[in-house]
Amino acid sequence: MKVYFFATCLGSIAYSNTCINAIKLLQKEGIEVIFKKDQTCCGQPSYNSGYYEDTKQVALHNINLFNEPYPIIVPSGSCAGMMRVDYLELFENDGNYSMVKDFSSRVFELSEFLLKELKVRYTDTGEKIKATWHSNCHALRVTKSIEYSKALIRQLKNVELIELDKEEECCGFGGTFSIKEPQVSKAMVHDKINDIKSKGVDYVISGDAGCLMNISGAMDKMGVDVKGIHLYDFIAQRINLV
Amino acid sequence: MSNFHSKEQYEEIINQKLNDNQLRKNLQSVMQTLKTNRKNTIAARYTDWEALRELGRRVKQNTLANLPTLLEIFEKNAIKNGFKVHWASNAKDANEIILSLMQKKSQNIILKGKSMASEEIHLNAYLKENGISAVETDLGELIIQLIDEPPVHIVAPAIHKNRYEIGNIFKEKLNAPLESEPEKLNNIARDHLRKEFKDFKIGLSGVNFAIANEGAIWLVENEGNGRMSTTACDIHIAICGIEKVIESFEDASILDLLLVPSATGANITCYNNIIRSPRKEGELDGPKEVHIILLDNNRSKILADKHYYRALSCIRCGTCLNHCPVYDKIGGHAYLSTYPGPIGEVISPQLFGLDNCSPMLNLCSLCERCSQVCPVKIPLASLIRDLRSEKAGEGRGGVLGYSNTHRSKIEKQSFMIFRNLATSGLKWRLLIYQVRIFGGFGKIFGNMIPGLKNWLSCRSYPKLDATLHSKVKQLKGVIYE
Ligand code: SF4
Repeated sequence: MKVYFFATCLGSIAYSNTCINAIKLLQKEGIEVIFKKDQTCCGQPSYNSGYYEDTKQVALHNINLFNEPYPIIVPSGSCAGMMRVDYLELFENDGNYSMVKDFSSRVFELSEFLLKELKVRYTDTGEKIKATWHSNCHALRVTKSIEYSKALIRQLKNVELIELDKEEECCGFGGTFSIKEPQVSKAMVHDKINDIKSKGVDYVISGDAGCLMNISGAMDKMGVDVKGIHLYDFIAQRINLV
Repeated sequence: MSNFHSKEQYEEIINQKLNDNQLRKNLQSVMQTLKTNRKNTIAARYTDWEALRELGRRVKQNTLANLPTLLEIFEKNAIKNGFKVHWASNAKDANEIILSLMQKKSQNIILKGKSMASEEIHLNAYLKENGISAVETDLGELIIQLIDEPPVHIVAPAIHKNRYEIGNIFKEKLNAPLESEPEKLNNIARDHLRKEFKDFKIGLSGVNFAIANEGAIWLVENEGNGRMSTTACDIHIAICGIEKVIESFEDASILDLLLVPSATGANITCYNNIIRSPRKEGELDGPKEVHIILLDNNRSKILADKHYYRALSCIRCGTCLNHCPVYDKIGGHAYLSTYPGPIGEVISPQLFGLDNCSPMLNLCSLCERCSQVCPVKIPLASLIRDLRSEKAGEGRGGVLGYSNTHRSKIEKQSFMIFRNLATSGLKWRLLIYQVRIFGGFGKIFGNMIPGLKNWLSCRSYPKLDATLHSKVKQLKGVIYE
């Protein structure tokens, strides 16, 4: 089977290794991965700020680029939700709607694809550790892919998954939100980190580069000794893919 | 009273609230309790909450689709029942109607049950200017009236004060002994209010549901002060936003089932006051006159928009505030509007003008939690985003104050550049290349770049690794095209 891989803007600017691991996870299941070199960003920054016309142009760039009937795999629940759900809202009453709909129906978040379509089973080769999980809001409420991500972690028998008290609460990233309202965002990420700290874990795992950059960056500044790691780096490590 | 608040005013009050540790603690603990209670009640008492939400959504949507007709039916039946119905197209009209009723009866005191509509029209301030004192009888409202503050929350107006602070307020303002036990604080309030209730003549309330087929109004409350204010007086005045009108008792029951657990986590309120008429001949008590003021105040403008009209489904349960990760950090006052939190962000610009309060639209990370818990399924986050597009000059353009809204040229330009880059593979790869080369450069100058500076105020510089394309090219088996 052939699939498109959409790395996301943060993937290509800050999380190259995560994307490589994500591609390897697909290859491991015998999937042939197509990487379009002209891929850019899903358009969330402009969309969330209300610049709908600019966003439509970005969306059309992606829609035209990923034009063959292959599934489009995204290693981020947030961007997958944008391309699968929000594009439809954006193009409501637009002449391009049916084209957009065809595109959106092919978008999958990676863990969802691995589990639902490929039915992966992972064997944990790592030592015993404790980890907690942060749910990205968009992945949770729009893409609805969180249960798959957590199910993948639960396959790893040496990982004790300890849930946060406020797992479903926003970490304060919200893309441009963290820049427009830095102080509020700071209060939010500090709350998240206090929750993480109280769990006595080695790792905090997230399936989204944005949240991870936010939480890890703030933990680093606060001198918190918990390692933030992306879901696909974590799995790749545990199953000895790297 | 001016509704305009600048970006700087917002920034100032937000920072002030964020630095108020007591406030943060109070808010967080109460919001947590309210959320937990709601969750437990729904789990224990409701077999299919989601189906009920869907039913509630439909009830309200159908109602709104027929609102003009339902309003007429309500008016007709209410008049038949002996109510006096008034139409107020704006705050000024509503205030004047109330003032003239007071003057006609030569009264200068009015006792109030809780009413957000009365807050929206700034009734208390207006009456005060005209020599009339409005006395709040809801415990929360009484507390904030004593310290001259507006409600911090649409359901729990004094939620930002803990019981020790309330004890101090009562001591200072009511000369009461210093107490902190809830029961004792309640007693102080009760004693104080008994005096006010002794021989008042005019009472005021809001309305939860106005039932068109019956010409009746339904009030939900927990303290009994609402019942006192509406029955022990000679004249009862009820302010009712036009969107509160619904068709039948059945509809009201569905909405009540959704309202109460969402608001407090209880499954029923202590008092349900269903008022069908003023005192009838031969009856010994009840008000002799009941006036219902149907308040528009730009609601019909909201109703006319194909998306925003859904905001009028709101039953004011407040649960979107309770679940908002921004609200519990800054509290309601920082929104500089009668209506704070997610629903506040949706309706304030439309009721009071986008030009007057657009900075409040930034107070949302679009986490969608509000949309997920709203009992009538208002897509709050989507509507907030849509209003941002009005602010950006790209919406449908019908929002109040649209043309006068200040628009950031810099922001517009930034997103034009973004679009330019993100629609060209070549330019995008060049950008990535620059990040790769100058990533470290950004680290040195990060503090000079405004957006990055904000980011770095509480985070380390992100570890940038922009080598994806070369890595993918080297990876065996990938089709790089
Ligand atoms: S918008 Fe929904 S959740 Fe918020 S107060 Fe209204 S009914 Fe409640």
